[in-house]
Amino acid sequence: MDSILRVEHLAREYGMTRAIDDVSFSVEEGEFVGIMGASGSGKSTLLNCVSTIDRPTGGRIWVEGREVTSLKPKQVSRFRRERLGFIFQDCNLLDTLTAFENIALALTIRGTAPGLVEQKVRETARLLEIDGCMEQYPYQMSGGQRQRTAAARAIVTNPALVLADEPTGALDSKSAKLLLDRFEALNRQRAATILMVTHDAFTASYCHRILFLQDGAVLTQLERGEQSRKEFFRQIIAVVTRLGGDQSDVL
Amino acid sequence: MFSKLALKNVRRSLKDYGVWFLTIAFGVCLFYVFNALETQTVLRFLAQNPRGNVVEAIQELIGILSAFVWVVLAFLILYASGFLVRRRKSELGTYLLLGMERWQVARLLLAETVCIGAAALGAGLALGVLAAWGLSAFTAGLFAVPMTFFTFAVSIPALVKTALAFAAIFLLVMVYHAFAVSRCRLIDLMQAGRVNETLPQRSLGASVALFLTGAALLLVAYAMLLTRGLLRVDALFWVMIALGSLGTLLFFRSLSGFLLRLCRSSRSLWYKNLNLFVLRQFNARIQTTYRSMTVICLMLLLAIGITASSVGLNNTVEQMAETACPWDAELVVWPEEEGGTVDVAAALKEEGFDAGQTCAAWLAFPLRQGAHAPVVARSDYDALAERWGGAEAEAFLERERAELVSDQAAGAASLSCWFFLADYAGAAQAGEDAFLQAVGQLSHTGGYTYTTRLSIWMDLMGTKVLVLFIGLYLGVVFLLASAAVLALQQLTQAADAAGQYRVLSLLGAPARMRGRAVTAQVFLAFFLPLSLALVHGAVGMTAANAVIAEVGRVDAAASSAVTALLLVVVYGGYFLATCWGSRRILRASR
Repeated sequence: MDSILRVEHLAREYGMTRAIDDVSFSVEEGEFVGIMGASGSGKSTLLNCVSTIDRPTGGRIWVEGREVTSLKPKQVSRFRRERLGFIFQDCNLLDTLTAFENIALALTIRGTAPGLVEQKVRETARLLEIDGCMEQYPYQMSGGQRQRTAAARAIVTNPALVLADEPTGALDSKSAKLLLDRFEALNRQRAATILMVTHDAFTASYCHRILFLQDGAVLTQLERGEQSRKEFFRQIIAVVTRLGGDQSDVL
Repeated sequence: MFSKLALKNVRRSLKDYGVWFLTIAFGVCLFYVFNALETQTVLRFLAQNPRGNVVEAIQELIGILSAFVWVVLAFLILYASGFLVRRRKSELGTYLLLGMERWQVARLLLAETVCIGAAALGAGLALGVLAAWGLSAFTAGLFAVPMTFFTFAVSIPALVKTALAFAAIFLLVMVYHAFAVSRCRLIDLMQAGRVNETLPQRSLGASVALFLTGAALLLVAYAMLLTRGLLRVDALFWVMIALGSLGTLLFFRSLSGFLLRLCRSSRSLWYKNLNLFVLRQFNARIQTTYRSMTVICLMLLLAIGITASSVGLNNTVEQMAETACPWDAELVVWPEEEGGTVDVAAALKEEGFDAGQTCAAWLAFPLRQGAHAPVVARSDYDALAERWGGAEAEAFLERERAELVSDQAAGAASLSCWFFLADYAGAAQAGEDAFLQAVGQLSHTGGYTYTTRLSIWMDLMGTKVLVLFIGLYLGVVFLLASAAVLALQQLTQAADAAGQYRVLSLLGAPARMRGRAVTAQVFLAFFLPLSLALVHGAVGMTAANAVIAEVGRVDAAASSAVTALLLVVVYGGYFLATCWGSRRILRASR
């Protein structure tokens, strides 16, 4: 069976500098994969390439067996709204819409039958435990609620792949933990495939597998296997230290 | 180096300058047309009337009005310039950051202004010459002026005046730019893109209540206008105006909430494409724009009302001249000495005006001073009634407050004055010329006065032409102002919404869907004020037509057509330019 995501020899140059230099990996269905690395290691560029926001200068990317690097602009929009879900660091909710409407918008853009919208939104909201603040506007919600609303918006369309860019970056540790618990629940209950970029070891410890990027290349990867989250966390810290990464940059 | 940069900037931000360009071009066009009135067919026709200086009066009044129009246009263009500077704040900040002096940046803006301004001025003048020609043909048709007076002409003085007036406005713009650049701090320029907005949200139930209140107020105002008529200016009139304005304000204040509520009740509408986003955006904006929307709606109403009623007032000239003077010429002669007699017809014949030959019908008769009122002899009255009908004879008695007495009684009374009434035979103008020449040479009288139907007609027409031109002038200025303000407002909002459209793009909303959402927002902003103004206007015109109908024929079709044409050209032009500009701003933000 095809992987959900397959990246082969990906490269992205900006003029003379190479942000990504020959990265290859794949993500299987139902996996929860993290990408770690210091700032400047190319992890954001990698995510942008996968999410079709940026175009790679070399290599190829397949999502569900479909090559996304050769898509035309029109197909890109279609691909984005039908196969991908995004969660950003600064959640990017539309501030004139209520939480409910923010989530519903992702469905209406896809052309979901109007009768199904409310039901789907309610289900997803329940899963992310935000059904209490559905009628509130983004500025009335806490940071954690906002980020979970963004997560709900990303998965309400049942995308093949959810891309999360530093989702816990702007959250306090308690909200971050709550959000990551929900990610786990999503991953388990909905079998959502998640690719998450982070520089935080704690956030990364929720993943099944972690790719470490340095200077635009995959240095090593770590599998969680049957370990508990705490053991995995210690292992991540060890790798980060071994890589000689700047501690302050990682934690 | 600077001119190169300026030229490059102009080419790059040509589309940002779109609304600015349009405003100046329309302004120039308008200004030229109404300052080049001497090329107008109607005025050339009026100018050949030797009596009265209607034409100079019209030109003088329009000239004074032009000062007012100039001020409005200057404000409009400054407002548009402010928008441009705001749009380019971070660019200007970069220039300052790179070490450019403030005066250099100001000079750069100046060079750009000169480039675009000169182009807009040229385009506006070309448009103006064409528009003046069109207006000339239109008004000539309206007043049924002989087409011999219709030519294509360009007024050089008006060209010069327009160019100077707008050069002065450009000077103001430059001063404004210099001021804007010198005042701004670098940090503000660099952070110009970051705007936080917190939106006060109102409950939708309150919106519905407000909406119904507003609608009720409007209905009351309409009912008052239609039952009371337009011309009764008293305390209640102002109450009516206040009710109408307040109703309009409440209408716009609550409209978006009401629409929102309405659309939300229909799932298939609410959960379709970007509908919920468009309505929410509109609702969020209305908190800040409902006041300007009200003002724009009322300005549009003024534009529509003034244009339509000034055009509707045409074609009444003929009838009014008919009532004012039922015969072609009327001459009143007082005798040289008290109680003496005058043979008016003979005196005129002596001076070359032979009533028997040049007139189809004529009558000379005395008006005598009775015991307590002037009197007319029965035989003279009968002659009058025979020539011009009993009704006109009756109207003559009423006008002179005279009594009808028997011939004997009239013979006993002393002579007051002689009347000479005549209808020309053949061409009215030839008869008029002969009559006026003869009257001018009358001697051996105690004084005389005359009126001719042709001169009354000319005077009346002068007034009508004045009303029409002033109406069109002000109407178009109001229309231009409201459309330009709306356009700039929408473009500013589009620039602010760039982030939100980027999110929509990330969510996978295709470019076409986003474009439609932008168009829908611009459409709402433009056509909500317009549609309410049209309803206001329809009611107002019903009342105004009732007034016009009293003095003459109502020509609803022509006035509606002209108003519609102006709306389509000016308002439609701005609507399209705004759609285009907004879509461009948001496409670039992807």
